[in-house]
Amino acid sequence: MRLSLSARLALIFSLITVLSLSLAGVVLFNALTHQLLGQGDLNLELKVRHLRQLAEELDSDAAVRDHQVRFIALALDDPTLALRIETAGGTVLIDHDPSHIGMIALPATPEGGQAATGPVQQWATAGTVPVHGVASMATLRDGSELKISAARSMSDEARLLDNYRDIIFATVASTTLIAVVLCYLFVRHALVPLRAIAASAQSITAERLDSRIDVSGAPLELHDLVQSLNEMLRRLQHGFDRLWQFTADLAHDLRTPIGNMRVASEVALTRTRSATDYRALLASNIEECDRVGRMIESVLFLARAESPQFALRRTEFDAGEELQRIAEYFEGISAESGVHVRVSGSAKTYADRELFRRAVSNLLANALRHTPRDATVSMAAAESAQGASISVQNPGEGIAAADLGKVFDRFYRGDEARSNSDTSNGLGLAIVKTIVEIHGGTALVRSDAATTVFELHFPAFRDGVAAGSS
Amino acid sequence: MRLLVIEDERKTAKYLQRGLEESGYTVDVANNGVDGLHLAVENHYELIVLDVMLPRLDGWGVVKQLRNTKETPVLFLTARDDVEDRVKGLELGGDDYLLKPFAFVELLARVRTLLRRGPVREVEHLSLGDLEIDALRRRVKRAGQRIELTPREFALLYLLATRRGEVLSRTQIASYVWDMNFDSDTNVVEVAIRRLRAKIDDAHALKLIHTVRGMGYVFDINEPD
Repeated sequence: MRLSLSARLALIFSLITVLSLSLAGVVLFNALTHQLLGQGDLNLELKVRHLRQLAEELDSDAAVRDHQVRFIALALDDPTLALRIETAGGTVLIDHDPSHIGMIALPATPEGGQAATGPVQQWATAGTVPVHGVASMATLRDGSELKISAARSMSDEARLLDNYRDIIFATVASTTLIAVVLCYLFVRHALVPLRAIAASAQSITAERLDSRIDVSGAPLELHDLVQSLNEMLRRLQHGFDRLWQFTADLAHDLRTPIGNMRVASEVALTRTRSATDYRALLASNIEECDRVGRMIESVLFLARAESPQFALRRTEFDAGEELQRIAEYFEGISAESGVHVRVSGSAKTYADRELFRRAVSNLLANALRHTPRDATVSMAAAESAQGASISVQNPGEGIAAADLGKVFDRFYRGDEARSNSDTSNGLGLAIVKTIVEIHGGTALVRSDAATTVFELHFPAFRDGVAAGSS
Repeated sequence: MRLLVIEDERKTAKYLQRGLEESGYTVDVANNGVDGLHLAVENHYELIVLDVMLPRLDGWGVVKQLRNTKETPVLFLTARDDVEDRVKGLELGGDDYLLKPFAFVELLARVRTLLRRGPVREVEHLSLGDLEIDALRRRVKRAGQRIELTPREFALLYLLATRRGEVLSRTQIASYVWDMNFDSDTNVVEVAIRRLRAKIDDAHALKLIHTVRGMGYVFDINEPD
């Protein structure tokens, strides 16, 4: 069974209360018992000494019997007191027992030999009333010995203790009950902020991700929690915003080729055209289809790369050789645009080669688009203990500082007008970043007025674990 | 050569049939897995083009049951590009795998490769018109004149020449010549073809490299109609 936090705390608190109060009760009860009974025993011993003094003033057994009243008078102040005086031979001279305690034979000689009386004995009468008794030997003037026994029923003390115990029980029970109720109420009250947090969390939906949980009302212990929740909300909101923007951009970018196909086809159908015209239209439609297809492929790639099941096929290769190959792939384009591509360095790289090529190709294509004629794009590979670093540097206008943070965003294009949407779908650099990140690496960009440098870092692999990944 | 197309999307099936028939194959079409399997078992086909997502019996089921009796090569078509899917298709006995949407020339190339059964033969010496290619020494001559080509330009020309008359898509070319197996937005292949033409064709009246707009490039004496 799952108990609420309030109930749990109340239960624990009541357990603690019961235990500590019971312990206090037991200790106090024992102390009182000790005190009461000790006092009673002391009185009993004093009584016996008194009786002995009285006896030792007398001459003989007969005198004792004659002065019976004096002995009994000593016991009259306490109706629960019984006394018996007997000769050493066992003849009972005085037997006073008004409350029918029932005297037993008590040892009269002390255990240690020091005290004048024997040890206190305890027994119980038929009515289970506890009885304490003590005895002592007395020597009469004629030298004969008497045994003086006194016993007292402890009924008063027992009653008192019983009473006291009942009070302790009642106190423990009622205090516990009060404590539990109070505790429950307090905890409930203390948890009010939690419920408030839950309530405000409940009001947050995908449409209202901008709302935050109020941290000011929360107790100190919950501040961290509230702040983490708000932080999570902020990230979620950011993710949602990006997703929303992504969807909008995607729809916009799909609209262009589809619009082209539709309008071109409609115009062609308005009148009879030559076979050449129809052929040109169909070819143009295929080109637009290819554009849509590539866009879908890119979007799917990004979506798949972010799923945890995405499988990298890592192999070890020299990044320098790959840069060379990629530069060769672009040799036609770079020659036509009059841009030189310089490749240098080498680096042992452990990565998915296909994806590596794709990332670096995207970077180089991007660099070539932004490099003026007769300038040089430099690609370099460098190896360190941390892994392989690839840099692609191109002279050109550079990227404004405000835009540097956005270049890896999906559908980001340097120019707002999307003038180059037919040659770049705006996903190239996003794909670069994704590829590097699924390898546990990082993608960076630096830019000033004259140069832009993209840097990819692929972590080294040790014992099957990427050094840079967490 | 008789092919079977199992595809539930009727429009796709119709165009596949037409395209393949115009490329010289005899084509039967089935619109669901059960009919397709029945046809495949009862008749003899050189090749089956099989869609994965099919009503009644999906492509995996068809190929699994087909393999009990026949070894007909199977080319899977699918809209789902999961590695597991690809592996599953090949493990079950599929021979190749093509992702939708695909270029028809790509499909044609795969069909031809599967029907050829075996690697393309390396040809040492090729000639077309007055063009001569010496594959061993990597030399090219046109009208007796030596033409200097970069290694990649040579690889591109060699690919086109060995596939004479066959339309090659940009993706195929990028994959064969540069081993770049992803679609890119760049016009690398167009530019490479343009530069190759400048060396091979520009000075001559007889053009050998032709563009099939929207589809790719073909190497032949006559321009494709």
